[in-house]
Amino acid sequence: MRLVLAAAAFALLPLVVKSDFILTILVFSFLLGMLAVGFNLIFGYTGQLSMFHAAAFGISAYATYLSMTHWGTSFWTGMLIASALVLALSVIVGTICFRFRLKEFYFAVVTLAFSEMARLVVLNWNGVTNGTLGIILQEKPNIWLPGQGLVKLEGTLMWYYVSLVALALTVIVCLRLVNSWMGRCFAAIRLNDELGDTLGINVFRYKLAAFVVGNIIAAITGGLYAFYLGSIEPGFLSIDQSLAIVAMVLLGGRGAVAAPVIGALVLTALPHMIHLGAELRSIVYGAILILTILLMPQGIYGTLALLGRRRAV
Amino acid sequence: MGQLIVGQLLNGAIVGTLYGIIALGVTLTFGITGIVNFALGAFMMLGCYMAWYLTDGVGMPYPVAVVGAVAITSLAGLVADQTLFRFTRNNLVNGLLVSIGLIAVMEGAALLIWTSTPKNMEYVWPGVFMVAGLVVPKMKLLVVALLLAVILATYAALTRTWIGRAAYAYAQNPEAAELMGVRTKLLQSGVVVYSTGLAGLGGALYASLYSIDPTLGAVYILKAVEAAILAGIGSVMGSLFGGVLLGVTEGVGSIYLPIAFRDAYGLVFLVAILLFKPAGLFAGRK
Repeated sequence: MRLVLAAAAFALLPLVVKSDFILTILVFSFLLGMLAVGFNLIFGYTGQLSMFHAAAFGISAYATYLSMTHWGTSFWTGMLIASALVLALSVIVGTICFRFRLKEFYFAVVTLAFSEMARLVVLNWNGVTNGTLGIILQEKPNIWLPGQGLVKLEGTLMWYYVSLVALALTVIVCLRLVNSWMGRCFAAIRLNDELGDTLGINVFRYKLAAFVVGNIIAAITGGLYAFYLGSIEPGFLSIDQSLAIVAMVLLGGRGAVAAPVIGALVLTALPHMIHLGAELRSIVYGAILILTILLMPQGIYGTLALLGRRRAV
Repeated sequence: MGQLIVGQLLNGAIVGTLYGIIALGVTLTFGITGIVNFALGAFMMLGCYMAWYLTDGVGMPYPVAVVGAVAITSLAGLVADQTLFRFTRNNLVNGLLVSIGLIAVMEGAALLIWTSTPKNMEYVWPGVFMVAGLVVPKMKLLVVALLLAVILATYAALTRTWIGRAAYAYAQNPEAAELMGVRTKLLQSGVVVYSTGLAGLGGALYASLYSIDPTLGAVYILKAVEAAILAGIGSVMGSLFGGVLLGVTEGVGSIYLPIAFRDAYGLVFLVAILLFKPAGLFAGRK
């Protein structure tokens, strides 16, 4: 219910707020929020600290662009192809990791290793990816609007609604997933995967399912994010990007599907609200991360929920 | 060709001991406090800048500056331990994220103070040996000798003294160790501070070999974690072997394979080890 209200509030927001600056920040927050919500499926719900998320995000951004320029597909078809590629890659990486029963730190390290390999390929495959310089995206995707037919997806307002809808769909899919029997399998794996195994849960299958779904959400975000930003660079696949996603989830809260969006909002908006140099911004970012973990281990949502419950009693 | 290979072997071994000294800190911290301190790379960077500042800015002789840099880095490690890491003991994810936050703070501060322009102090002990047609800078040999001595001393301290027995006892069974009179809080803080001191030493020596910039820690901590895992976390001599193995693989690998993928060899190696020998190469040999 609260989610519907929040979605409605955001949908009506552009009627009141006309500032392009604020709407742009919100678009980025929505897209990064999508990324964080998908990641939380793997991290918060299934308990696996995956570092492959930035790779899924970045690979898909490049793949969407490449299929558009080399095969002449539309943006949306390109995004489907990119998602299929990420699906295949995450099935391979996930199968390797989970077949060999890598857990916790070792799982994080191996997924990080695959992610770094992907980044090195992107960085050095100059002919295709343009190396460190990245790619400037001139084109904008087309979108069908009722009454207007196919139009170019341009301007902050249109992107605002597209990203809001994409985020809402992501949240709905994840909500359905974690409230189903599959979600209970995820929780069993997070709490004690050996016990889950003895209870007849196919631990391998559900770990892989969470990993693949989370990465596909990242893949969809990757295409949208790149074309909104108007450029792609190897930094999309960096460790820093993976860690930024983890930070959003922790700051927002792991315990609720939509909570990571709060983290995405804060971490995207805060550096722009206060005008700081890049160095000071890095310090503020680090300090927020440290303080959140030490003072609010449940994240903003978890802390607020706890306060609300206390007041009700 | 032969000379090239020998040269790369040598270079790999030198860089590898640097990986090894950080990896030793990673291994010790993980064994005793249950977290992976990624900020050790940032402490190494701090050590670099302190050595540079004390030599170039204050005008101390380089050896004194190294001691000073290690002292300052350890002090910073003590502050970090008491204000941050004390609260994340045995919590892998929180410890990881706190150390990452600390990296952002330290790197940001370093960029503010020293800017991103690389600093250089390769002049402290110039001169080379010529060994069978190979050029070996004297400073590099000295650095390797010093780092090896420190790693061996740590090994000796852990296997021959009561501190080492207390540490092993704690690693095996924390409660029992505490009941036997091991001061566990002191031991944990001591290990965190010692590992930052090691990183500071690595950094202070690194500063005399290569030019330094505020982001150099990131590469080294990744390599150190790789080295620690290669050897099997918890093994002291293993972290040295792991570091050298990684350094040599990279060095020799870049002769035969494209140099752009230099950082990938270690990763491929790492994944293979974790899949087929998850306890590490030197498992069972503490």
